[in-house]
Amino acid sequence: MNPGVALAALAVVSLATAVIGFYGLRISRTTGDFYVASRTVRPWWNASAIGGEYLSAASFLGVAGLILLSGTDALWFPVGYTAGYLMLLLFVAAPLRRSGAYTIPDFTEARLDSRAVRRVTSLVVVLVGWLYIVPQLHGAALTIRITTGLPSWAGSVAVVVVVCLTVVAGGMRSITFVQAFQYWLKLTALAVPILFIIFVLAGNGTPALAPPAANPTGVAPAGLYQNVSLLVALLFGTLGLPHVLVRFYTNPDGQSARRTTLIVLGLMSVFYLFPTAYGLVGRVFAPGLARSGQADAMVLLLPGELVGGTAGDLLSALVVAGAFAAFLSTTSGLVVSLAGVISQDVLGGGVDGFRLAAVVSALVPLGFAFMTDSFALAGSVGLVFAFTASTVCPVLLLGIWWRGLTDAGAIAGMLTGGVLCGGAMVMGALAGAASTPAWLAQPAAWTVPAAFAVMVLVSRATVHRVPKTMSRVMTRLHTPERPLATER
Amino acid sequence: MTRVRMTAPRTAPRPAKESREAAQDSEVGQVFVRSLIRSQLRLALVVASGFLLILGAFPLLLAAVPGLAETRVAGIPFAWLLLGVGIYPVIGLSAWLYIRMAARNESRYRDLADDR
Repeated sequence: MNPGVALAALAVVSLATAVIGFYGLRISRTTGDFYVASRTVRPWWNASAIGGEYLSAASFLGVAGLILLSGTDALWFPVGYTAGYLMLLLFVAAPLRRSGAYTIPDFTEARLDSRAVRRVTSLVVVLVGWLYIVPQLHGAALTIRITTGLPSWAGSVAVVVVVCLTVVAGGMRSITFVQAFQYWLKLTALAVPILFIIFVLAGNGTPALAPPAANPTGVAPAGLYQNVSLLVALLFGTLGLPHVLVRFYTNPDGQSARRTTLIVLGLMSVFYLFPTAYGLVGRVFAPGLARSGQADAMVLLLPGELVGGTAGDLLSALVVAGAFAAFLSTTSGLVVSLAGVISQDVLGGGVDGFRLAAVVSALVPLGFAFMTDSFALAGSVGLVFAFTASTVCPVLLLGIWWRGLTDAGAIAGMLTGGVLCGGAMVMGALAGAASTPAWLAQPAAWTVPAAFAVMVLVSRATVHRVPKTMSRVMTRLHTPERPLATER
Repeated sequence: MTRVRMTAPRTAPRPAKESREAAQDSEVGQVFVRSLIRSQLRLALVVASGFLLILGAFPLLLAAVPGLAETRVAGIPFAWLLLGVGIYPVIGLSAWLYIRMAARNESRYRDLADDR
């Protein structure tokens, strides 16, 4: 692939991101603008922004790569990523919006009336965010290395620099525009090349998908336990992701939070058709990519392999642009929500504190990314989902739906889930992918129930600690807002 | 450029709704609220388990009918169509149904609360 074309694509995306960010700066003046875009973002904008933020390196590169490697088993990833939003809609979207809190720690503190719970939640949220940024930076490093031949670190550093600039400049309002733009860019960047490829293959007289979708690598099919555990992680992990949740505060009311989620589901369903198509086409026509250990780069390499020439170069440039949009949007979304948490809890919540916190929350994962190696992107993001599902998810679900939750129960449950799931992740990393047993590689199926159980049992044992404000908060979470006209 | 000092309210109070929340604190008000929460939770659980049953039925169907996974529709193996395309309309439909029913629960609650 022509390095010049790839670099140009990268520069255009970074520039577009920065320009839209600065345009947003002109209209973000107040506190509300900075944190949550004044809660007046229209559902379509908001939904595009959520889509833009959520579709990360794992979705853009990782899903197609995994499908190339393991076929239909990997289809559970996009299904789980999408169905996670269904769970979010069913159990979290409207009540969370009605809670009136800005961040997850705000929510748990208001619900349980406890500073200690707030601190533990903040800690967990920051950990989740950092864990989630690392694979984005790995994806950027991989993309730069494959497409331009520059050293890997250049990709991670480029992402961190662009994200810091946009976030420091504009806060959430400009981020909303940037993210919405990046959803549509990502969709185009995946859809156009694969449609072109299919068109070319058909034109060449290659009978569409005539060879069987054979297994190019001989990777053993995943067992039932692994598929179920993965689904548990993805279904319950989504509703605890900090950058996803912060988006719901930008809806004007609970019902519009629901409508936004419905649009998001539509946008994601359309998006995931394309990584699936890449995976299938790659499996049939370019199985060599899987053997050479470049599965994650398959989306980037496929246009060059199957089309070639100038057309191939241009299509590759488009895919590179889309990939960078994915790294930038997810990273900036995470950095904004982490900066919100860190600046309020540690730095006292000023604009300058927010900016400092943003830089810190981007630099720490950069360090992690340098120290660790990239393994399958979709897999490592899957583990982050398992961690969220074992920590933030139980406290949110029980906090919203169960009157008996206490601060002691919430803390005990989050710590249990965090230690079990974090321990499994560390042990799995130490043992190496090949020799990790299934129950360690996909821990969600037992760590999530364990966290829920501890949270419920400890709350039961400490009934006297149910906060006095509980009924009032539950009422606010679940009763509909009045239409503005009849507000008394 | 004006700089605004940000001190985000930790619990985001809503003064405009003070009177409304006071009304909901009454015993009858709390009965309505509890029944609203119960019906919303029941609805969410029903939709979630319905969706999970369908999701679980997909691979069972593929395993139960031999040769179905490899049957080709327009050149694409059926297993790919089912898991790669067919599941998404089910997700969208579940979401749409839930939103309608949840809004209905809320308007029923609103009628009750206003009638008092």
